[in-house]
Amino acid sequence: MTAPLTAFGKVACLVILLALLALPVIGSDYLIDIGTEMLIFALFALSLNLIIGYSGNVSFGHAAYFAIGGYVNAILLTTYGWPLLPAFVTGVLAATLTAAVVAYFCTRLTDIYFAMLTLAFSMLVWAIAFKWRSVTHGDDGFVGVTVPALLDDRMRFYYFTVIIVVASIAVLWVITHSAFGRSLVAVRENLGRAGFIGIHTRRMRWQAFVVAGFFAGVAGALFGMLIKGMYVESAFWTQSAQVLIMTLLGGIYSFFGPIIGAAVLFMLERLTNEYTEYWPTVLGVILLVILLFLPDGLVGLGKRLTAKAKGKDKTEGAT
Amino acid sequence: MIDLIRDLSPGLATLLTNPQFAFIQLMNSISQGMNLFIIAAGLSLIFGVLKVINFAHGVFYMFGAYVMYSVSQEFGAPFWLGALAAAGALGLIALLIERTLFRQIYEAEHLMQLLLTFAIVLIMGDVAKIIWGTDQYSVSYPASMSGATDLGVTFYPTYRLMLCLIGPVILILLYWFAERTRWGRMTRAATQDREMLAALGVNVPVIYTSVFVIGSMLAGFGGALASPFSSPVPGMDATLIVDCFVIVIVGGLGSLWGSFVGALLYGLVFNFGSVIFPNAQDIFAFMLLLIVLLIRPWGLFGKPEAGGH
Amino acid sequence: MKRIIFSAVASTALLAASGVSAQEIRVGALYPTSGGGAIYGGPAMEGHNMAVEEINAAGGINGRMLVTVARDTKLNPATAASAAKEMITKDKVDVIIGGLSSAVGLAVSEVARQEGVIYIATIPKTIQLTTTKLHPYVFRTASHTDFEGDAMAQLVKQSGGTKVCDIQPDYAYGHDLAAGLKAGLARHAPEVKVVADLRPKLGATDYNVFITQIMGAGCDVVTSGLWGSNFVNFAQQASPFGLFNQIKAYISGGEVASHEIAGKMGDDYPPNVISNTYELWYDHSVPGHQEFQEKVAARSGTKETAMWPVLAYIGVQFYAEAVRKSGGTNSDANVKALEGMTLMTPVGERTINPADHQANTGQFWGPMVKREGFAYKVMHPVTYIPAEIK
Repeated sequence: MTAPLTAFGKVACLVILLALLALPVIGSDYLIDIGTEMLIFALFALSLNLIIGYSGNVSFGHAAYFAIGGYVNAILLTTYGWPLLPAFVTGVLAATLTAAVVAYFCTRLTDIYFAMLTLAFSMLVWAIAFKWRSVTHGDDGFVGVTVPALLDDRMRFYYFTVIIVVASIAVLWVITHSAFGRSLVAVRENLGRAGFIGIHTRRMRWQAFVVAGFFAGVAGALFGMLIKGMYVESAFWTQSAQVLIMTLLGGIYSFFGPIIGAAVLFMLERLTNEYTEYWPTVLGVILLVILLFLPDGLVGLGKRLTAKAKGKDKTEGAT
Repeated sequence: MIDLIRDLSPGLATLLTNPQFAFIQLMNSISQGMNLFIIAAGLSLIFGVLKVINFAHGVFYMFGAYVMYSVSQEFGAPFWLGALAAAGALGLIALLIERTLFRQIYEAEHLMQLLLTFAIVLIMGDVAKIIWGTDQYSVSYPASMSGATDLGVTFYPTYRLMLCLIGPVILILLYWFAERTRWGRMTRAATQDREMLAALGVNVPVIYTSVFVIGSMLAGFGGALASPFSSPVPGMDATLIVDCFVIVIVGGLGSLWGSFVGALLYGLVFNFGSVIFPNAQDIFAFMLLLIVLLIRPWGLFGKPEAGGH
Repeated sequence: MKRIIFSAVASTALLAASGVSAQEIRVGALYPTSGGGAIYGGPAMEGHNMAVEEINAAGGINGRMLVTVARDTKLNPATAASAAKEMITKDKVDVIIGGLSSAVGLAVSEVARQEGVIYIATIPKTIQLTTTKLHPYVFRTASHTDFEGDAMAQLVKQSGGTKVCDIQPDYAYGHDLAAGLKAGLARHAPEVKVVADLRPKLGATDYNVFITQIMGAGCDVVTSGLWGSNFVNFAQQASPFGLFNQIKAYISGGEVASHEIAGKMGDDYPPNVISNTYELWYDHSVPGHQEFQEKVAARSGTKETAMWPVLAYIGVQFYAEAVRKSGGTNSDANVKALEGMTLMTPVGERTINPADHQANTGQFWGPMVKREGFAYKVMHPVTYIPAEIK
């Protein structure tokens, strides 16, 4: 995970980037929409993995920061008529600040207690979005977000999303591959030992949580502008569970795992919903298969397959 | 003084000036808490031994309510037979799930176990839809308990009084099982050191199975008991499971007394909170959880995590 | 893994490119078919399919067949908005029909506005849909909370009650209905006082704390919008306290007079309830209803049928008539066609007001009583309260 990109990885990244840039040219409106949404969820899942995969805690309330970023940006744009830049930045900062406060309390705990405290905080955020009708319009939803004219176009918004998401992913890559990222992994692997070698574990986990909150806020702000609305369901625990599944599906021990998990789960939900009302069963069965046969997620499976093919075990980072 | 309170919170003023009203709210709290205790006790028991947070517990509860409906309304069986059938059916389902699925992942990380239970939620929700369709059902109270009983101070619904009694009965039964039987000693030993237990020749898998089955039977039984006032419908599990999480975390994961006290607290906070601050009912449970976790992260009756974790 | 992404993208690209015949009329149906919303979305989908099959069996519209594209909204507005977009951009639907909750209705309406595709709301009742959030492409064939609240106020007046306890679910519909009721009371019965406003959360399982507050508030009429299982749970918990016997009337919106509730509750259905429904399987006062009901019964395999199919059925009926009139699927032409359109539905004649795109959908109201020949309570007498606010 901490290895730099291999030559193969570099080429792969370049190819994907080119494909993303070319998508609107070759694709339909539908592909642009779906590409935008998928990118947003990829960033959302990736941000969560900073808490799970790197610092080893399971957040069950990550949707809170997604929702705060989305709501604050949407409300500032629409109700107060702010320009995009300050609205977007304020939305993301609001998410980050909330994450900083919540993380202060949560990082005192670990494991299941950590998960439950994050859940409790996120449900408070949900309750506030639900109850504060004069500002958020409660469960009617904050419908009809004013998107700046510059972005009020499918293709332009898509490119805007590509730029923001790719830049965010790059920043996350740098963070996780810095000394900070390596210390985080040490914290995950062994809280006690990390403490011995002089890592201030609680502060590290706090920092990881705050960074995760920041990028969840970015994803949320983008999402609100994409669907031109924010809804209380985006803060509910089921949304947190969905992004958690995305992250785990892809694999938490790989940088790119959550991105792949988000893309796959997103498409699965879309496609199964198209063919059957029993899509929960389809999803459940897929989950079971992964858990029982692919415990390290899709990326883990990929690694094992390539390792088998090459007869060696050295494809780190080349996801 | 009372006028000032009335301005701030009419509900609080009524509570202070009308002891009968306050008493009824107390009864509401206890009866609601006891129904939740029965379900949460199962969740806590399973966590205590298997160390699995079972998301599917809510779906088990829903199945309990549905089985109750089928047995008591469609086949016309007596109420209590329906409740037993619900517990039995869930025991069987749990046995099947434990043997085929859970057994595979005891060694895996908590996360994976959580996801497995989530997959069961998804699948069983659809199974319920296939079996019972999407109608909303209604279950009648047992004939002898459809009215109210005179408590001297006030009348109170008989069925809810029964819940107030059955909760402690279940508590005592579980306590007796855990403290006074060989099975109980084994399960307690299994929570502490299963390798040692296995080395001593104890069949640990059987203990795991039995705990999972009994915990799930409690969910089914609780669902059956709830069905007369909480109609069996699709999706009824979604809010319940979160309430149960709150209760077992507040009480302390794996602690029987913890879930009892946690359930009572939940009932008190919900009912008195709803009277005093009618606009904030959605957040009482989470405020309770927050406060407890901030002061005593391992819950009221739980033990601090070992090794500084 | 890249291959997985690419194959997923490629397969959707193929789907997107797959032939959409110009001859077909593509109708998007958005109802919740999983989770808690399935109780309503499932039967509604049946009504939708029935309407489509009938039209096709009769040779389509101007020789063009209807094709349904259905998606599960999961009762989640964000999901519904994405699904609506997908239907428009990928499945190339000509219209979207459906919706259940207010938030889903508003979210889908927003997509319809952006994409310039007609959306016919068949179930959402929030008043905003046809007032503050009105746009050229949204129409509603459902009733709304101002009509419903006004009807409730008339019934409060008739009941002779003077002190009202209002208990509404704490979410958009409940708040809107409470506002509609208060406005109605001011018009019809200004002497009536609302002495308690209670707002249990939607989907609450324990109502005792609210029931006991109603009992202590000294009101003679209870008004409510607790619907579906919320009503069942409330009633089951309030009956042992004797609440329903202590008051003159429990006047309820939210269609708790519909057969799917009364039929399932049987003898447990409480006394003194006056409520509404869009349709009753046993009331054939509207010409053509019996024929319609028998067809629904044949499809569902039960003599007694639910109220939801007719709502979805009417939505399809209106759109089909618009296409017939305009001669095609052009959205703007069909907006013109729908404005002011009058149609005979299985539950009465409906006209869409060109000013606010709202159909004059009234409802059947009446007391729920025990009658000979029925094993459950039925509405008698059945009164149609028209959709008009005077």
